Amino acid sequence: MITFDLSEEQELARAAMKGFGAGELRPIAQKLDRDSAISMSTLDLLWSTGLAQMQDAENKGECAILNAIVLEELAAADATLALALATPVAFAQAILDQGSPAQRQTLLPLFQGDGFHAAAIALMEPSFGSNVSMLATTAVRDGDGWRLKGRKTLVPLASLASHFLVIAQAEGERAAFIVDRGASGVRIEAPVPTVGLRALEMSDVSFDDVRIASAARLGEHAGSDVQRIIDSSRAGLAAVMTGLSRGVMEYVIPYAKDRVVHGSALASKQSVAFRIADMYIDVAAMRLMAWRAAFELGNRRNATRAAQLAYTYAARQSMLIADEGLQIFGGHGFVREHPIEMWYRNARAVSMLEGVAGV
Amino acid sequence: MVDFTLTPKDEYLVNIAREDSAIARKYARYYDQHHEELEPVELPEALGRPDPYALLEADPTGTSGPIVAQALLHLEYPDVRMRRDTNRFLGTKIIKYAGTPDQIERFGGMLLSIAISEPGAGSDPRAMVGTARYDEATDEWVLNGEKIYCSGFGEAAGAVVMLKGPPDERGVRPFCSFVVEKGTPGLQPLGQVDKMGMRAWDTADFVLQDCRVPSRNKLDADFKRMLMVFNGSRAMVTAFGLKTARNILDAVREDLVDAGQAIDYEQGRNARSVLQDRVIALEALHDATELLILHAKWSEQTNGLTDEGTMVEASMAKALGGMATRRITQECMELLGPRSLTEELLAEKWFRDARIFDIFEGAGEINRLIVARWLLNYSSKELN
Repeated sequence: MITFDLSEEQELARAAMKGFGAGELRPIAQKLDRDSAISMSTLDLLWSTGLAQMQDAENKGECAILNAIVLEELAAADATLALALATPVAFAQAILDQGSPAQRQTLLPLFQGDGFHAAAIALMEPSFGSNVSMLATTAVRDGDGWRLKGRKTLVPLASLASHFLVIAQAEGERAAFIVDRGASGVRIEAPVPTVGLRALEMSDVSFDDVRIASAARLGEHAGSDVQRIIDSSRAGLAAVMTGLSRGVMEYVIPYAKDRVVHGSALASKQSVAFRIADMYIDVAAMRLMAWRAAFELGNRRNATRAAQLAYTYAARQSMLIADEGLQIFGGHGFVREHPIEMWYRNARAVSMLEGVAGV
Repeated sequence: MVDFTLTPKDEYLVNIAREDSAIARKYARYYDQHHEELEPVELPEALGRPDPYALLEADPTGTSGPIVAQALLHLEYPDVRMRRDTNRFLGTKIIKYAGTPDQIERFGGMLLSIAISEPGAGSDPRAMVGTARYDEATDEWVLNGEKIYCSGFGEAAGAVVMLKGPPDERGVRPFCSFVVEKGTPGLQPLGQVDKMGMRAWDTADFVLQDCRVPSRNKLDADFKRMLMVFNGSRAMVTAFGLKTARNILDAVREDLVDAGQAIDYEQGRNARSVLQDRVIALEALHDATELLILHAKWSEQTNGLTDEGTMVEASMAKALGGMATRRITQECMELLGPRSLTEELLAEKWFRDARIFDIFEGAGEINRLIVARWLLNYSSKELN
């Protein structure tokens, strides 16, 4: 039946992550943006939330919503840090969800320790018109294994990643391959500075005839449902965008109430008040759309439409919210003292990613 | 537990409502072109068909709850009703929560509209000039005024009318409300309003000229109490509008399928055609509205109609839905192409029908004021 009650675990996680975000993540966000890097101790701090360790195949339905809640709360504090954690978690989720028993046995323990363990899904490609449904990266049969060839772009924390889950076209359909960073033919480029999510250190990674054993295809002989990975990522990104948008709104409100313009508070002017009301409405709607997609995924239903709509809606509205939020700050919105210009840049970036995050 | 699944009984009721809508569509063009003629109380096809609203009211067990399941039915709003729908008679609803036991007994079974708007007072009821004065000699109230755009008044037995009472000690005229039955001398119905759209929706004006009602017809309902009825009706009306938008979206989707261009939800944004990209954006807006409606109705079911959160959520749903209904219907006409301009298709009717939904039962601006005041903690003086 249709209900929106959170479980006690979900409520506790929400409160805990809200406090963690405000206390630990928000205070360092702008510095990370300037440094364009996240320290190892900060990565370990993110790891200490337990998000990676708590992924639960048994209780997938509730876990997916919980993941969406956690991603929103972390992203409300800082989207870059939320995605830094979400990246390896998405890798682990894919292995847990669709890996063969051997793959799960080998890889999942990497994500159970106390220290941050980097790994990433490599999906996006650099060329104009590039499309996740028809990728240029290919895997061609080679004996009982494969040869992987292609170039992936914007892979977060690639320099640290132990493994990549590379999505490629294999015999006419998409497949996912677990690639060890040290495999011959894998070249991880230096991170390229990006307009937003700067500290996520996203790199191009190229694969030059990299030999992949058949045991390294996700799911091995059974293969995997790649679209499900993409759907999960879209749902996760929708949750991140919900948090980012909410963070903008929560920052805007006290400023707009305090700022006196032409004799009255900015927030008391209808045009500004309406824009803020629209932010609140959009965030509520975005959240429900993200939860619906997470729910479909968690209950093993076809989530493609729900995930696409959640992602598309959040992408458009979060850019709009960051844009209007910046406008409300006037000139202060344009200078780097306030975080709002960073959120504008982050919003543009998050709303264009695919394959990062997951529920 | 967060859960978006309809129960089997929800689905059963929704399917009946969907069939009703499909049957009623045959009459859509006729009643669109004959607005002076009230919809029949019941279509001939209603005979032998179950009434999903009545079934739900009789026994909500096995559904997502009486209010949430009812919202699912609202989302199947037909072009012409299969049978009488008491939901639109807001006056009756007011009696039920604001009436004395005597008033509930006397008036609770009547179909009563709500009458607030006047030619000079729409979203600002304080601008109304209609008055009520007490005649102590006869223990009656004497009512004067002109009320417009009253939903359901053509069919109703009367209305709950909001008027300005006698000035108090500070010279302020409070709002008061009265049940006025048709047939009361001094009540002059003026007939159906000629509207651009929703022409099958009974909308009528009337005049009160020294209309006398006994004091037992006066409701203990001030401005705030009267308007509480909108907490429940706002999300409902949004659902009606959203169905109008869905009708036209469905037409676009059918055309895309017929043209071999069915939407592929897997693709990224740079791979889809312009047409498909626009439809995806409109579908997202539609679904976002639907979820806000369901959440508002779930809140109403969980926390009650008069809860502040329920009120804010109803306004949120209406604000988003009003905009969504406008945008979806306008854009889908472009996507359907020039033939959609003709009366050969119902698309142009839905385009006309849709436009009122950001205006009546709380305009988008008013609902944004409600949300903004709550969010920013401003009184109506601080944010007007």
